[in-house]
Amino acid sequence: MIETLLVGLDAALRIDTFVWISAGLLLGMLMGSLPGFTTTMGMSVLVPISFLVGDPLIGIPFLIGVYKGGIYGGSVPAILVSMPGTGASIATVFDGHELTKKGQPRKALEMGLYASAISDFFSDVFTLVMIIPVAAVVLNFGPPEIASVMFLSLVIIAVTSTGPVIKGLIMLCLGVWLGFIGADPFSGMARYTFGTNELYDGFHLIPMLIGLFALPEIFNAVKEGDRSGSRIAFVGERLRLAELKRSLRTICRSTVIGTGIGLVPGLGQPIAAMMGYIAAKNASKTPENFGKGELDGVAAAEAANNAVNGPTMVPLLTLGIPGDAVTALLLGAFMMQGLRPGPTLLETSGETVFAILIAMVFANVLFLIIGYVTIPLFARVVTIRRSLLIPVTIMLAFAGTYLARGNPFDIVTLIGFGLVGIAARTARFDVAPMVMGFILGRELEYTFGQTLALAGEDWMRFAFVERIGMTAVLIATPIIGILLGTRMNRLRQRAIAREQA
Amino acid sequence: MSIDPVGVAAASRWFGSRGRVRLAAPLFCAAVLAISLTVAQAQYPEKPITLIVPYAAGGSSDLNARVFTTFINEYLGQPMLIKLVPGQAGQKGTLEAVRSAPDGYTLLFTDNYRDQLHRYTFRNDAYDTNTDLVPVARVNYGEIGIIVRTDGPYATWAELEADARARPGQLTMSHSGLWVALFVPALQIMNNLGLQLRMVPYRGGGPAKAALMAGDVDVSMAFPATVAADVEAGRIRILATAGPERILEGVPSFAEIGLPATTGFMHRVVMAPAGVPEDRLRVLREAFARVQAEEAYQELMDQLGENTEYLDGVDYELVRRQQSNDYRELAESLLEQ
Repeated sequence: MIETLLVGLDAALRIDTFVWISAGLLLGMLMGSLPGFTTTMGMSVLVPISFLVGDPLIGIPFLIGVYKGGIYGGSVPAILVSMPGTGASIATVFDGHELTKKGQPRKALEMGLYASAISDFFSDVFTLVMIIPVAAVVLNFGPPEIASVMFLSLVIIAVTSTGPVIKGLIMLCLGVWLGFIGADPFSGMARYTFGTNELYDGFHLIPMLIGLFALPEIFNAVKEGDRSGSRIAFVGERLRLAELKRSLRTICRSTVIGTGIGLVPGLGQPIAAMMGYIAAKNASKTPENFGKGELDGVAAAEAANNAVNGPTMVPLLTLGIPGDAVTALLLGAFMMQGLRPGPTLLETSGETVFAILIAMVFANVLFLIIGYVTIPLFARVVTIRRSLLIPVTIMLAFAGTYLARGNPFDIVTLIGFGLVGIAARTARFDVAPMVMGFILGRELEYTFGQTLALAGEDWMRFAFVERIGMTAVLIATPIIGILLGTRMNRLRQRAIAREQA
Repeated sequence: MSIDPVGVAAASRWFGSRGRVRLAAPLFCAAVLAISLTVAQAQYPEKPITLIVPYAAGGSSDLNARVFTTFINEYLGQPMLIKLVPGQAGQKGTLEAVRSAPDGYTLLFTDNYRDQLHRYTFRNDAYDTNTDLVPVARVNYGEIGIIVRTDGPYATWAELEADARARPGQLTMSHSGLWVALFVPALQIMNNLGLQLRMVPYRGGGPAKAALMAGDVDVSMAFPATVAADVEAGRIRILATAGPERILEGVPSFAEIGLPATTGFMHRVVMAPAGVPEDRLRVLREAFARVQAEEAYQELMDQLGENTEYLDGVDYELVRRQQSNDYRELAESLLEQ
């Protein structure tokens, strides 16, 4: 094992590998920062380059660079113009965009970058060292366990949303219901589509996100007009070392959460980012600052979503099972290089695999450098005059929506959810539980259906013998929910009392 | 038709001086005429061809398309660009292809289930694949195999069949989604042999295989290439493979276990909207045929676990008619229940 690692290290230390990773990172960041252009789309376009190169130590690290760059790139528009390009950057919007509004976009971007790079680095090291022992554990997570964890996540999101719990619950249920629109995943029958073809696939996540998060911001900015002065936006200060140090605990916590979630195929970055954020808010001494431009919130979300990346390689490499579309593309890229992911890969080409994993760890260092160089460029976006920035943002919102799948109906979705977002903001409803309800509700339904199909008639045996893990999570759910809920309530009241004092 | 940019610059300089305008007019006319003549004579294709891929990014079909489109520009003289149009179980992309102009500049990459089976399972008035699409070429095909765990109770298909018969509706099978590559042959098997398995859906072949390996389900299906590493490692056993003859040593064919020889084949096909001129179809078919002969292409496909069994569109049309009948019966037998 150690020997293979050393040979791998030797093979990975190549200047051309690093050049290609850098190219991938840069391309990924650019693509990720364009709303509507997802990492999956970017990678799928770039896959031919990787196989034409013909060297696994160039082609695959290149794609890994695109992957990492893309995930981080998505947080750039989230922070600058409140436009999350994917579900992974929802939690980044909460505090990231508030910081931009306070004139600190650079600070938020830098915190995002450092948190992402640090957590990515450690989750990759974890993957590299633990790949063999962890592989056996991964298979134990099936639909029943995923369904129970999703249910727990929904409960946690509902009780920790800002404002009264009942409002959070209403929005959550609304989101879950929105997720039901479209084809039933088990029979293919249309539900709540009102006979239209457009709704057969349900609402698309990207227009929903842009509509709910970006359009209300634009609306507010237009309403305020130039009253607030056209020079409120600054690049702002750099992140101070002390600030980074203060968030190190949060970054560590989020790294652990993200890595854990990444190991379970099918949970994904949106849940990781949300859970990391909620955990940070719960552990904070000043939870009332979350959502109002708390640097720690940016760190929590960004560290958690990037930590998912590394561990998704475990089921991919050891079992040949891709957890999502991005890893499915990587699977193809590996196969085209003559590396067949699966139980025999580590025996037959262990050196190449470890070289790739080591290159993945080093990629984070390059990631830090490239991100650092590009941040001032990105941050300058918001210093454009408002009368120019707002139209450009509107254009980005519509173009991004259309780009995502080229469906004109998505424009309607965008405007519709924009109106919902504006209404919700006026009535002081938090839209985050709705979006999470939408994302998780669909998955929960699917995994629950799978669980029922698996369980068959003897469900007692299924729940208490075969799937004891699922049952344990389900029993713990109300307890965790009540504890968290009362704690949040107490904190909220304390914050109100403090404000009045 | 390509205009030399240097020539354009020179011409505009020449026309730029006013005294020459009178002379320029007839020359301009002549030039336009010359250009339009070259257009008329130009070889198809003279601009990039769009290939509509009605699958999500990252799937095996996306990957297949990326491989052959990378090679085909050499033989067409023009690039073939992929346009992913996922949605409505492939109907959205198919509809877009059907509605595009039949000029050979828009093609569709599909498979036999989307082409012939979904007409019965997802009723649709917007198009009829049989009259609206013509096959250009079959790029490759896959034969499905029935797989179990090696540490499970089944060493042969006969044992599995006997157990399934003894406990109807008790055995579970994982599949990759409704009405596609693993689900359809499983239905055909159950229908033909009178078996009843509990079908558990997963999002794609990978997760379906994972469910088998984890012991969550009793049996699954897979294209042999996708489980080659697991078979080698001794974790998965293939009990039977599709087709009239054996393709793996010691593994019975579907014909031997009492199934029709056509069950369990997935064909990947390039289609064109009906009405494409014959000469353009010929150009396309020839290009696909020549790509299939290229070594570098064969090597890449081999590593992906795909064969390069090219079949000309004309011949595939016959296969297609047969499928149409089989699938109608299958769909009817199910929708009645």
